[in-house]
Amino acid sequence: MSSLLRRFPAIHVTTLFLILSATSAQAEPLRIPILVPITGFLSLEGTSQQNGAELALAGADVAFSVTDTATSPEIAINAFERAVDAADVVSVIAPMLGTQMLALIPLADEFGIPLVTVSGTAKITELGSPNVFRFFPGDVVVKAAQARYAVEELGATRPAIISQTTAYGQSGRAELDANLKQLGASPVFQEALDVSVKDMLPVLLKVRESGADTLLLHLHSGPTALVIRYARALGLDIPIIAGSAMHQPETAALLEPAELKGVCAETGSSPVSEAREDVRTFVDAYRRSFDREPDAFALGQYDGAKMVLSAIAAGAQTTDEVRTHLQTARYEGLAMTYKSDGKGNMAHSAVIICYDGADRVPDVVKRYENLTGAL
Amino acid sequence: MLIAQLALNALALGSAYALVAIGFVLVLNATTAVNFAHGESVVAGGFAAVALAMFLPPDLGIPGLILLPGVLVVTAVLGLAIGALAYLPIRNRPPVSVFVTTIAVGIIIANSLNAGFGAAPQTAPALIGVGSFEFLGARLSRQSLAIIVTAIVLIGGLAFVLQRTQLGRQFRACSQDPEMARALGIRLTRITMLAFALGTALAGAAGLLLAHQFFISPSDGGSLILKAYIAVVIGGWGSLRGAAAGAMLIAIFEIGVAAISSQPVAEGLLYIVVLLVLFVRPQGLFGEPQQVRA
Repeated sequence: MSSLLRRFPAIHVTTLFLILSATSAQAEPLRIPILVPITGFLSLEGTSQQNGAELALAGADVAFSVTDTATSPEIAINAFERAVDAADVVSVIAPMLGTQMLALIPLADEFGIPLVTVSGTAKITELGSPNVFRFFPGDVVVKAAQARYAVEELGATRPAIISQTTAYGQSGRAELDANLKQLGASPVFQEALDVSVKDMLPVLLKVRESGADTLLLHLHSGPTALVIRYARALGLDIPIIAGSAMHQPETAALLEPAELKGVCAETGSSPVSEAREDVRTFVDAYRRSFDREPDAFALGQYDGAKMVLSAIAAGAQTTDEVRTHLQTARYEGLAMTYKSDGKGNMAHSAVIICYDGADRVPDVVKRYENLTGAL
Repeated sequence: MLIAQLALNALALGSAYALVAIGFVLVLNATTAVNFAHGESVVAGGFAAVALAMFLPPDLGIPGLILLPGVLVVTAVLGLAIGALAYLPIRNRPPVSVFVTTIAVGIIIANSLNAGFGAAPQTAPALIGVGSFEFLGARLSRQSLAIIVTAIVLIGGLAFVLQRTQLGRQFRACSQDPEMARALGIRLTRITMLAFALGTALAGAAGLLLAHQFFISPSDGGSLILKAYIAVVIGGWGSLRGAAAGAMLIAIFEIGVAAISSQPVAEGLLYIVVLLVLFVRPQGLFGEPQQVRA
């Protein structure tokens, strides 16, 4: 044998390569790439998504890397193709930007890789893909909670809606409109705004002229704060129930506590408002790790990544096994209980938070559990 | 009262846009190339104010006005860096090369701000404090007044420099005929870099003014450069007066037209006006017809 090896040195190399490959295959951890929009107009929410995923995966026996998908579907597709090129990818933390998700879903189906996301765009779970798992209540859930709170708790009969012109805005506006009509409170005014609009006086004057008794918002962070500031300056003293962007501590930080008085918002959860011990532990760890306040996107993505880890802990080693676990298991997360409705909608509960005008930390005033009946 | 309120809001917004557009034109005149990093320069000015405000005692309520000189210096230095990195090395190449390099620098600025300050929108201190008062039957906030006055002072000062000083004459000479200006002994590179510094400083001032009233986030540069570009197309390519008028027109559409229609309709109508200007008066409202030198 030794003479054979001396005569054919290439055998040495081949043997060494095979040994190293085998060793490497044994030691290689499973991979969960994180693809999130950390630059561009959704970077605030995308950074929360990234932080939540990183906090969940840190210390676990999995490998992960973060790739910025910015705001275009092309960048997301390139990032996905590079990420899944590596061996042992069992799941991908997928961007919350709806247009990117819509572009990634056919690829995920082609490669058979589960996408774990907090995107709120309704359509991503309406395409029949078995690989989409959404850990943030979609518009079907949160807009139902927002409309019900306005009508059932505040007695709104003449609501007005201001939304964004983006896919996110259109999706939420349609759900809000449908829910309000179903509750017998058809909107008396609706308008969509581009994200770059700065002066909110024109739209708020029209809200006032419409005689609206409640204002429902479905806007990104900056526009949400601008509308509230302008409404207060204009003396428009009708209740404002904002979308999920309002619950983000960064949005509240743009406004004075007095401007926030009486403002409410829908969201999947509000980590900074919760007194539960396990949520407080999450909040403290998040603050230590990232020097900022956690929001519902961070907590939803944290729960989603933790459920993938629970699948691996239960023995799942392949994409098929992880997918099956996500499709069938029930998971008690920090924000809520998660279970797929058969379409990949894992989150079915929402909360309403309100600010009392004394500080920027909201209180949870209403919980809407299991709005879809999937649990 | 309603019309007065809308007019005051449009005047304040248009004043801030005018600072952005005039800074854009200054560089355009000096280089004959479009500086696509100009929007990010506005954003950088806003974040410079946010950063400088951290050094102020938060409880004293010191007005943002004292930050203005600091913001002007920081953004002027940024302008020099943009000129040195994105223009000087390729100034003899076709203008499209400068498009690409300034876009690249703009992305670097935006991503650096994102990495340094985070993605969240931020607010800078109000220039002369918060609150509002009655004016012509409408409410005028102190910040809106500060925006209008600051824009008048800065644009007026710039107009004085350009029209009444030797430096201004050199500026105009370089913009009208760079080769002849060089032949007459004017240091073209120095004037070009001064244009980058001045133009970016004006953008920085606009950033400070916008950051309190409308917030600022690292990704805002794209929409701001678009507004500057439209203002210049409407007002006249290279015309400072035209840039200011174009900026006011944008604000009138965003506030006045949006109030009687809707924001998407107002935006659509604005672009129709841009197309009409390009078809009917390609040189813009205040521009002169293009002439080719023999």
